[in-house]
Amino acid sequence: MGVKQENGDPENILPPIEQELSHELDTKVKKYLRGEGANLEVLKDKKLKGQLSVREDLYGISAKAAAKAEKWLMPSKGGYLEAEGIEKTWRIKQDAINREVDISSAKNQYDIVLPDFGPYTLDFTSSGRYMAAAGRKGHLAVVDMKNMSLIKEMQVRETVRDILFLHNELFFAAAQKKYPYIYNRDGVELHCLKEHGAVTRLQFLKNHFLLVSINKFGQLRYQDVTMGEMISNFRTGLGRTDVMLANPFNGVVALGHSGGTVSMWKPTSAVPLVKMLCHPGPITAMAFHPNGNLMATSGKEKKIKIWDLRKFEVLQNIPGHAKTLDFSQKGLLAAGTGSYVQILGDFSGSRIYSRYMGHSIVKGYQIGKVAFRPYEDVLGIGHSMGWSSILIPGSGEPNFDTWLANPFETSKQRREKEIHSLLDKLPPETIMLDPSKIGTVKSAKKKDKPTKEEKEAEMEAVVEAAKGTAIRKKTKGKNKPSKIAVKKKKIVERAKRPFLEKQMEEENVAKKKQKISEEISLPTALQRFARKKATA
Amino acid sequence: MKMVEKKRKSRDVKKHDRPPKFNKTSKFNKKSGKRTDEKRRTGPRLPQALRKELDRVNPNDQYSSEEDDDEGVRNDVYEYEEGVPEEESKKNRRFDSIENYEYQLPEDFEDENVVSDDDDNDFDGVENKIAGRDSKRGDLDKLGDDVEDEDADDERHLRMLQGITGMPSQAFEGRKKNKVVVSEGYPESEYNPTRDILDGDGRISIEDLMESIQGKPGYRELLNITRQVEKKGKLLQAPLPKEDRDRLERKAAYELSKKDITKWEPLVKRNRETPTIIFDKDTDLGFSTVGAIASEFEPRTEFEKKMSSLVHDDKVATAHKEDGSKLLELNKISLEDYVNNRNHIAKMRSLLFRHEVKMKRVKKIKSKTYHRLLKKERLKGSVGMPMDAEEAKELAMKQEFKRAEERMTLRHKNQSKWAQRIVKRGLDAQDEGTRAAMAEQLHQHALLTRKMKTMKDSSSSDDSSDEEDSENEGGSDQDEASKLLAKARDKTMQVLEGDDEVPDSGVLSLPFMKRALKKKKEAADAEARLTIQDFELSMKQMEDTDEAENSKTGTVSGRRVFGASKMQVKEPKNKIRSSSIFSDSEAELEAEEDIDVGLGRTDGMQNNINVNSVLLDVDASIPEDSVLKVSEIVRDPGHKKTYEVSILQSDAWKKMSSSCPNEVDTNGKRSRKVVEPAIHNQDVELKEEGEDSDADSEGQMVDGILSPGHISSYKLPSQAELIREAFAGDDVQAEFSKDKEEIINEENPEPEKPVQLPGWGQWTCVQKKKGLPSWVLEEHKNAKRKREEALRKRKDAHLKNVIVSEKLDKKAEKLFSGTLPYPFTSKEVFEQSIRMPIGPEFNPATAVRALNRPEVVKKQGLIIQPINYEDVDPHERGEEHRGSGQKQRQNQRIIRSQGRVKAVVAKS
Repeated sequence: MGVKQENGDPENILPPIEQELSHELDTKVKKYLRGEGANLEVLKDKKLKGQLSVREDLYGISAKAAAKAEKWLMPSKGGYLEAEGIEKTWRIKQDAINREVDISSAKNQYDIVLPDFGPYTLDFTSSGRYMAAAGRKGHLAVVDMKNMSLIKEMQVRETVRDILFLHNELFFAAAQKKYPYIYNRDGVELHCLKEHGAVTRLQFLKNHFLLVSINKFGQLRYQDVTMGEMISNFRTGLGRTDVMLANPFNGVVALGHSGGTVSMWKPTSAVPLVKMLCHPGPITAMAFHPNGNLMATSGKEKKIKIWDLRKFEVLQNIPGHAKTLDFSQKGLLAAGTGSYVQILGDFSGSRIYSRYMGHSIVKGYQIGKVAFRPYEDVLGIGHSMGWSSILIPGSGEPNFDTWLANPFETSKQRREKEIHSLLDKLPPETIMLDPSKIGTVKSAKKKDKPTKEEKEAEMEAVVEAAKGTAIRKKTKGKNKPSKIAVKKKKIVERAKRPFLEKQMEEENVAKKKQKISEEISLPTALQRFARKKATA
Repeated sequence: MKMVEKKRKSRDVKKHDRPPKFNKTSKFNKKSGKRTDEKRRTGPRLPQALRKELDRVNPNDQYSSEEDDDEGVRNDVYEYEEGVPEEESKKNRRFDSIENYEYQLPEDFEDENVVSDDDDNDFDGVENKIAGRDSKRGDLDKLGDDVEDEDADDERHLRMLQGITGMPSQAFEGRKKNKVVVSEGYPESEYNPTRDILDGDGRISIEDLMESIQGKPGYRELLNITRQVEKKGKLLQAPLPKEDRDRLERKAAYELSKKDITKWEPLVKRNRETPTIIFDKDTDLGFSTVGAIASEFEPRTEFEKKMSSLVHDDKVATAHKEDGSKLLELNKISLEDYVNNRNHIAKMRSLLFRHEVKMKRVKKIKSKTYHRLLKKERLKGSVGMPMDAEEAKELAMKQEFKRAEERMTLRHKNQSKWAQRIVKRGLDAQDEGTRAAMAEQLHQHALLTRKMKTMKDSSSSDDSSDEEDSENEGGSDQDEASKLLAKARDKTMQVLEGDDEVPDSGVLSLPFMKRALKKKKEAADAEARLTIQDFELSMKQMEDTDEAENSKTGTVSGRRVFGASKMQVKEPKNKIRSSSIFSDSEAELEAEEDIDVGLGRTDGMQNNINVNSVLLDVDASIPEDSVLKVSEIVRDPGHKKTYEVSILQSDAWKKMSSSCPNEVDTNGKRSRKVVEPAIHNQDVELKEEGEDSDADSEGQMVDGILSPGHISSYKLPSQAELIREAFAGDDVQAEFSKDKEEIINEENPEPEKPVQLPGWGQWTCVQKKKGLPSWVLEEHKNAKRKREEALRKRKDAHLKNVIVSEKLDKKAEKLFSGTLPYPFTSKEVFEQSIRMPIGPEFNPATAVRALNRPEVVKKQGLIIQPINYEDVDPHERGEEHRGSGQKQRQNQRIIRSQGRVKAVVAKS
């Protein structure tokens, strides 16, 4: 209760700097208030009004505290490249950046050449501390990115199509030739998920602890990794695909298909939530903005499109081909094709992406996957000859929240967090397009009342059941066939009765409604006459 | 009727002379006055004659009444004597009694005076009186002539009296007043009570009683008393009935308590408005420190008392104080002492340290045996441990060295002096330990030799000889390859030179078969020769590229024997695999599924694979086949080209350094074999090189001839083509819109078209004309409209390329609220009230607790006391409930102290 913030009186005339600060704070407070409070003046219930106003005050206090915390605890702002004069940001090479940055950042520019095991795919943990790399030819590696040490490396001797970390760096899953496997950090095979089949792409929903896979036959599977339960299994019916991505905002899984459609799925519905035709040709890559509102897709027809997922509309058409796409935490978009990576940025806030940076790796290397490293200005590139890492200023979130992801996590913290996240595990049905709607009042049901046929069917069923009831044999005179027939009839009638009554009621209601509507249709002066007529 | 008349008269009289005394003594309530007024107003008029008659019959009546009214005191005596019964006087219930008498004795009822009294009493204000008079006056006006008549009557009466007695009228008037007492003309009885009673003023006053005892002893005192009583003017009222009294009391009490309770209002309001009431806010946790407890200590037992008396004794305290100061004085140390002390300590410390260091060193020194054992252990341990390649290599080297040493020295084969001596003396003569040692030695030897053999087996998987193997071991890969090449060449030579045994019998012995065989053999020979040349060439090549060779081939397995040719074969395989990877399909699926690459091209690749794999198989054994295949390759240079391109297109850049020379060398080989394809190839090569030079090679690691130049050369012309090819047959848009339509129809099914039942309305033209019944049509229309509405409301109604499913998720339904929660009345307000998350993940730590605090905070087992009154400013909006908490605390203190006292009592 003692959260009394000394709020500066608005009457006081502040010096200009402080005014500016307060304005800044106001904008932040607004952000944390998450929208406007309801207009309490319209409320008639005094008690409720009082309660709500108290709540609103608390919200205000909380938002203010949060804004202040943000101001003082998260002072570092993400920078980005700024060009002077005729300079262009995309002409700035990695060497030039290397000269300017500190040693620890410069350390993040490197190439790892592993020519033997084919194109590499990468995955970072949510904290950005660990990276899993998988070579097509079965080379799996887990690397600690902070001190650049190899934690585990192994060779599974079969095709590996995808690799990803589960909830923390202790476990990772690899989509291998026939089945996906789950390994622990030491490389011990923990599970072989045979049900999934030959999986082409894996995704993990951290909040729901669901491992999502799409296999060669276009089957989408959700498996709960805590209990091992298979949550759902859908046939997409849209053919084989290796473009799958989970929306980080709501956990909806999107698939890109060869028909140019993108379908979005949730584990509790066998039909896609959304199906949109994004490109005329097959979809090659897809990426979601961390806030979940933007989606980038690229098609074989050499176009990258940016979509607004709230309206399902194209925001921008960017010419160019991308074999792989990724959004950074700050919203930069990396598109890799051939041996060239292009970074698009939106610094104006207008959601119009323009060229920001570019980087070409050694000619002939084929980029297979680009992935921004969280909380670092680093882009990892998995290619046919190993993997590379380059610096993209302004890509990572500069301030990390230890509640969310801690790059400097100790093992004890990790354990704590694991327990917490398990306790906070969300059930699969919470995955929906707009999870902020959870808890609100259900929208008016489309199918509130059963249809006529359904009602009839129900009645039929009841009548049938009533007919089937065996009639007890009674004393001598009462078992005559005629009496039994009468009894049966009665039973049937009795069974029917509630239905008929309901029907009558409804009819009455309908009639009344009709009357009312009739009255309404008459001019006011004539209404009473109408009623009289009806009664007479 | 007569009564009314009289009343009217009396009123007039009263108007003229009103006795002021009556105001004081008589009390009447309003009701009667009103009633009389009414009566007065509604009184019917009597004819004059009749009234006169009445007057004559009871001539004194009015006078007496007037007298009576004026001088009630005078006729008291008479009335007293008369002894009016109490119930008749009805002091308590005057109104009722009046009513009674009114109805009982209508002609005698004369309450004019009473009325006047009433008027006086009730209408206290002058205005009221005036009003009353006015009203009377109005009445008078109304009954104008009546009044005049009455006046005339009176006058006449007076005159008559004057005439009879001859006295002035004044005397009569005075007498009249006096007379009233005695002018009772009719006997008093129950039915004819005195007028006083009838008036309702029939009370017996104290004066009445007093008169009778006038002059008697004690009269004056009594009189004084009565006067005093009168002065006070209080008449005791009869108590109200109990219910009324109680009601009144309750009412008053209610008012009071209401006033009293409103003072709680702000307090209660505050409590109700606070989001949280904290009860155990200021709980006293008791003594917090030992010192606090000690300060509370009171000596109880003898011993304790004694001790405390000693402790608190002044003498002792002063002594202690002084002693303390003395001690402090004693504490002083001289500088020398201090320095000495410090030096001593330093010395001791250094000694200790030296000792420690020494011990450390001593601890490290270990005996020879110890080290030997340790070494053994380590070796053992290292054997079992898993190692990386470096270590393994080292170990192998060591092992090898040991083996070599063993072979050289034969140390474990009873060669040592000791062993020889033992052998000489005979094993039987030895004791058990020695024998065991010998056996151990022999075993060791056996072990070493056996190991050697196994190593040999593993290293030579082929049927090659031992010496070859031993040579292989040391040699580099390059040597190995060349050797293998030489071997292969030898074998080919053998095949070439080896005589073919043509069977003498059977089909093969037939002449044409023989001829064919011969032809075949010749061809094979030619091919073999070519191959030999090839081998030689490649050997040369090998020598050339020796320095360029990577040293990375350490992990090459036995299959690597085939060197160049093998590499060449392996390469395309890899490429195919990788290209399949690129299109993301398995190798087996690749041929069918590869859509982005042209079909013909894929076939070409397939061919190449086959060719090469066969080539590999054949190369060493059957030369004629290989020729065939190679020629096939040569036959299809175009394919070859595309194949290479596709290799490049796919990401097959691994093993660049190693594969490129091979590539070159195969090309060269081919050129030597057949001339024209060689040219082709050369052309290709040249082109490639040219492009290579075009392309900027910044940061290029690979020095191979095959360079990324291919990509551009390939991509530029073929990408557009590819796209065209890829999307040739697809009409994605149409497909999608069809899909959308289907889904929409599924979610909002189209209403069935009303169909006439077969035979319905077919036998008359009339019905047919009418068509379907109107209600069916209407229903259909309604359904259609509904559907259209639903379609319009769909989220994807305006989005051509989007399908948003509107299927209800039953599982997710439980996450929504079915109805609006109770106090809320609008959905909007409710939804806005839950917009803020209140968990610790979304709020700063300072705010989380406030957001999640329960309505009542209290510790378990805490007794909640009733609230105490305190002054609260009703306008301030306090958030905390401090007061109650404090009160709580006080109460608790009391309780606790009581408890303590009790405890103490119990103890003592």
